[in-house]
Amino acid sequence: MSLFIAIASLLGTIAIFYICKMFYKKYKKEWLTPMLITPFVIIVILLLTGIPYKSYNTGANVLTNLLGPATVAFAVPIYKNVNLLKKHAFEIFVSIAVGSAVAIVSSFIMALIVGLNDELVHSLVPRSVTTPIAMDISNMIGGSPTLTAVFVMTTGILGSLLAPIVIKVCRFHRPSSRGLMLGMGAHGTGTSKAFEFGELEGTFASLAMIVAALISIVLSTTIFPVFEHLVINILLP
Amino acid sequence: MKIVKSIVQIGYLYILLFIGNTIARLLHLPIPGSIIGLVLLFLLLQLHIIKLEWIELGAALLLSELLLFFIPSAIGVVDYHALFGVQGMKVVLVIVVSAIVVMLVTGYTAQWLEQRKKGDTV
Repeated sequence: MSLFIAIASLLGTIAIFYICKMFYKKYKKEWLTPMLITPFVIIVILLLTGIPYKSYNTGANVLTNLLGPATVAFAVPIYKNVNLLKKHAFEIFVSIAVGSAVAIVSSFIMALIVGLNDELVHSLVPRSVTTPIAMDISNMIGGSPTLTAVFVMTTGILGSLLAPIVIKVCRFHRPSSRGLMLGMGAHGTGTSKAFEFGELEGTFASLAMIVAALISIVLSTTIFPVFEHLVINILLP
Repeated sequence: MKIVKSIVQIGYLYILLFIGNTIARLLHLPIPGSIIGLVLLFLLLQLHIIKLEWIELGAALLLSELLLFFIPSAIGVVDYHALFGVQGMKVVLVIVVSAIVVMLVTGYTAQWLEQRKKGDTV
């Protein structure tokens, strides 16, 4: 029975995803993105059938596992566009360093303002980074890695939904600024959104995602503890 | 035939991932093996040790279906009942505001740096 659930979970997830993708291509509405509808449909099915997430995940886990080689595969668009990236190295580094700092500080401050508990606050701080790294950071600064994984996903979904609006309102017309904000703001999902705009956008986004991951490890383990201490003990005694 | 080729090539990417994981473990690096694998593959392509056509199809397949691989983790939210109420709405609010601020700041910084550079060369 559990083997049946595992296989059905894997094949079902793939089938629902492709059906959602077809709908998305046909109607071209942002809120129809498979990123939003697929999890929603599957969650409803799990709740209705009473299948626990653990049993679902024994099969669906195969897909999560593919994130590993997929991350390695990002080397290909980077390699193909290496000259372009060399030319823009300075902008990439500076804008992602600024973006990473803003991501950490704004998540922390906002989480304090709305009054979340300590575990949630620390699980939210690394939310702008790709999942495996975010989970490591969460562990290092006292958050819960599983909660962080959920927040990273939520960031990816909401970020890719909000990005086209931000791009329109701010008139970000350059592939570099579009790609960098997508990779920084919505990591992996932002990067695949960026590839919908074009290969150049996607390349900048992949690079942003990688640089953001590396910079965030450094920022959240060195500067963040000092910042947190200052805010909690001095500004809010 | 193309699909078989793609699957074999994904196997090569798994080998690079495995090497990345091993390096991370042996050197106790706080960096995930996948990122080390990425850097490794990039270097091997640059040095022409790995040819692009050996992995290009597999990489393209994985990157075009990337969203699918995130779905099972997103569904993990069902186990956090506390997040379905007010707490969850607060979390969403934090993420929405912070994501918009991050994208605005990153996008404007990149655009400003580009324009400044253009101004310098003219």
